[in-house]
Amino acid sequence: MNALFFRLQHRYAPYLFVAPFVILFLTFTLYPIAKSLSLSFYITNGPKSQVFVGWDNFRFLWGDPAFHRAVWNTCTYALTSVFLQLPLSLGLALLLNSRLVKGRNFFRFGFFSPHLVGQVFVAVLFSVVFIPKFGLLNRVLHALVGTAIDTKWLGNPELVMPALVLTSLWMYVGFNMIYFLAALQSVDRELYEAAQVDGAGAFKQFVHVTLPGIRSVAVFVTVLSTIGSFQLFELPYVMLSNTAGPDNSGLTVVMYLFQNGFIAGDLGYASAIGWTLTMGVLVISLAQMRLTGTWKRED
Amino acid sequence: MKNRLFSVELPFGKAPALLVLVTALTGLYLFFHPVETSQATLRLWTFASNHAVPYQKAIPSFETAHPGTQLEVQLVHGDAVNSRLRAAFWADLDVPDLVEVEISRAGSFFRGPAEDVGFIDLMPILKRTGYYDRIVQTRFAPYRNRGRIYGLPHDVHPVVLAYRRDLFEELGIDVRQIRTWDDFVRIGREVSVPGERYMIELSDNNAGHFEMFLFQRDGGYFDAEGALIMDNEVALETLLFFIPLVAGSERIGSDLGSSRLFTQAVESGYFLSFICPDWRSKGTETDIPRMGGKMALMPLPAVRAGGRRTSTWGGTMLGITKSCPDPELAWQVAEHMYFNKAELAERFRETNILPPLKDAWEHPAFDEPRAYWSGQKLGRIYADLADDVPPQYASPFIETAKSKMAGVISSCAAYYRENGREGFEEFARARLLAAAEEVRRYIQRNPY
Amino acid sequence: MGWQRFGLHAVLVLCSVVMLTPMVWLIAATIKGPDDLFHYLFFPSPSRFSLYNFRQLFEQIPYVRFMINSLFVAGATVLVQLFFSSLGGFALAKYEFKGKRLIMVLMLTTMMIPAQVMLAPMYELIYAMGLVDSYWGLIIPGAVSVFGMFLFRQSMLDLPDDLLQAGRIDGCTELRLYWDVVLPVQRPMIGAFCLIAFMGSWNNFLWPQIILHSQERFTLPIGLNQMVGLYAQEYGAMMAGTLLAVLPVVLLFFLLQKEFISGLTAGAVKG
Repeated sequence: MNALFFRLQHRYAPYLFVAPFVILFLTFTLYPIAKSLSLSFYITNGPKSQVFVGWDNFRFLWGDPAFHRAVWNTCTYALTSVFLQLPLSLGLALLLNSRLVKGRNFFRFGFFSPHLVGQVFVAVLFSVVFIPKFGLLNRVLHALVGTAIDTKWLGNPELVMPALVLTSLWMYVGFNMIYFLAALQSVDRELYEAAQVDGAGAFKQFVHVTLPGIRSVAVFVTVLSTIGSFQLFELPYVMLSNTAGPDNSGLTVVMYLFQNGFIAGDLGYASAIGWTLTMGVLVISLAQMRLTGTWKRED
Repeated sequence: MKNRLFSVELPFGKAPALLVLVTALTGLYLFFHPVETSQATLRLWTFASNHAVPYQKAIPSFETAHPGTQLEVQLVHGDAVNSRLRAAFWADLDVPDLVEVEISRAGSFFRGPAEDVGFIDLMPILKRTGYYDRIVQTRFAPYRNRGRIYGLPHDVHPVVLAYRRDLFEELGIDVRQIRTWDDFVRIGREVSVPGERYMIELSDNNAGHFEMFLFQRDGGYFDAEGALIMDNEVALETLLFFIPLVAGSERIGSDLGSSRLFTQAVESGYFLSFICPDWRSKGTETDIPRMGGKMALMPLPAVRAGGRRTSTWGGTMLGITKSCPDPELAWQVAEHMYFNKAELAERFRETNILPPLKDAWEHPAFDEPRAYWSGQKLGRIYADLADDVPPQYASPFIETAKSKMAGVISSCAAYYRENGREGFEEFARARLLAAAEEVRRYIQRNPY
Repeated sequence: MGWQRFGLHAVLVLCSVVMLTPMVWLIAATIKGPDDLFHYLFFPSPSRFSLYNFRQLFEQIPYVRFMINSLFVAGATVLVQLFFSSLGGFALAKYEFKGKRLIMVLMLTTMMIPAQVMLAPMYELIYAMGLVDSYWGLIIPGAVSVFGMFLFRQSMLDLPDDLLQAGRIDGCTELRLYWDVVLPVQRPMIGAFCLIAFMGSWNNFLWPQIILHSQERFTLPIGLNQMVGLYAQEYGAMMAGTLLAVLPVVLLFFLLQKEFISGLTAGAVKG
């Protein structure tokens, strides 16, 4: 084989290898992002009729009670994911990591299995679990603690968010536990022994050995769940039979974007919502990374 | 190592091999079973299975009458009609020639410049053929916009009250004593047992039932001129009347959900009565056949003695799209499906839906006693109320208004559950006004 | 010690019961007839088992077609993603070239930008390409997985350079090196990625919902969401549809369990 060809193919191979990513990035990320920025200054009725309105979409968004509701719901959901779901995941992982546990693989699979079901199918399942009078949850709660058998979990604006959180706990606690468990298992056993020699109790060991040991994984999982929470859509949309729920109690930012853009047909307003969401997510995840000092370690 | 003998060496592991296999097999299947492109000369979309079935039955007679035409009726989910039609109007994709649209969705298609609306104006042809005067007038209202009529009404949908005749008798309720809602509520309070039995099915979290009370009082979301009236005095009065029926300790209504959940609850005696438009009576018959002979219908109680004894719930329009190459032929399909008296009568027997063509009601089918409904003449009951059916006026913002109203119902019910009558009127007024203001913001934003 | 062990297991068993109950309930719901569905909380006596729900599902809904569509779209998507992502990851892990840093930054940003912001222009783009209502409209925009590129880069960093050098001396081109030397040793990661990507594609909802218009092309999530309400207003059929829709993922999981757990956590733990 020709030596020149050999040298050239070696030099240009990496460019060829990343080319698919670059091409796709340009067409399906960069272009749409730029396009959606420009769209966000128009009111549209489908791609055919567009009217330039300047900053009006953003002004309208700022004073739009439905959007406020969507942001409120989304943030509530995100906060519970981070402060309720992740600690539970960590707790389960700690239990499972104990040397006393028999049948670890069984439990690990048991906790993880709901995640295999997938959001849409979980939503279909739980829309039936929550039905009044005949649903699993009402019948179990009625039998155990005597709550009303016809509690409308998905029909009462105050109960929709708890129902959503409950569903997402079921689906994600085990999933995130896998990460924590792997991190715990990678912590050096000798560190614990050393701490024991120093006379540290279980709690001190947890604070001084365990937490630092799983820090990077914890940050990773936190950022990932935050980003995921802000993109919440399928779960409430399917669970509430393709609506935003009573009094918009299940409305999320992405659902609002979808409603405006693809049901009402205002792609301009949808883009404005999308850009606001993007900015929010970028700021929050960068802040999280900065706070925990991960940013510098990425490269 | 023994196993190795029998297993094929997979250089990249099991997963890619399996996926290649699956993809190849399914790909082959899809290659040999491509999605059939329609050969039909005319296509009609509907979102309701109880419409699609009779239409499909009516195809042969249409095709015999119009040789060379091939008509196709497609059943498409309501949400999908909405999104597909919109996408199709935007992008000139695959648009059907005729399409049925649900009443609360119709208005949103009239958005934008009038010349961009995807449906043709039916007013000229309705006038020319004389059908305009033979159809229940109020049913044009939802499909009329800026002086044009974009849809042919499929139905009238008067509502009555359906009740468990057996349980009413057991409880000593005499329906002749129920003339007004006040009568109904008084009796309802006596027989309702929280969590076990409710006088009526009424929702505290969507506007569906509330609307009927609103329309019955001549209220609504928009008036004939298209102005928003969802926060007027009638709406407030309706709200103040309605909420205590569904919330608080004295409530007489509850709801569980749609379809099966609802009918099961009727069968178990959880609901003694429910508001029953013509289409819902059929669902009851098919879902809970065991209730045959135990059910009966009565006109809705009036707001005030001597007042209107009905209201309306739901509706469908049939539109002809602008991309239809032969609107004249499409109109003949519409005529065949909507105005053929013999077929309408047959269809009424199948669906219980009262057609809006008034002279069709003379057919004996509408006077047949129905055993399921304790021998009542179901058709006549609905037909007698048809002229009293209140109008629903259209607006491109009707969906927004409805969803905001649903929010008002939910939050007022929540307030009432917590606080009872204390400060309720002020809260309801403020909430109604705020919701209307939100809708007005949308309307003002509309550049068209 | 004994009590501690007992308590620990009690808690774990309790948690597992909570986690598994909805699934048992789901399975029970699928084999009950319409009259028993709400009558029995879980299983009725075996003599009352019924295939009614599955019959409903197959007769009323083109369920098999949805399943085939889903399998094809997910299979094709994963294979394409696997190829492009591992190739890209290989370049990032084992080559020095201009623009490498820029590409890493772009990838990070892509991961953080919510895909939903791009929906509207993507729809226009796909329309302009004539791909609306086609399988390709689903497969092409997702042909490269950024997450996958990170994953493969991470695991390929550990590849000894000597191995590659030896291959080059033997006269392998870079592409051949990738195919014959690199990929075979990445088998665990390939397995993990396949499962993760398969789940992603299998459960994809929003994008197919927007671009698929013909019922015959629906994938399972959209088909199930729409059709159940349309034809069979039956909770039993809905549950049966859900159960069958989950099976392929579960099967794949059991096949790839080991690789999956290690792959999922590899990136995070090494971080």
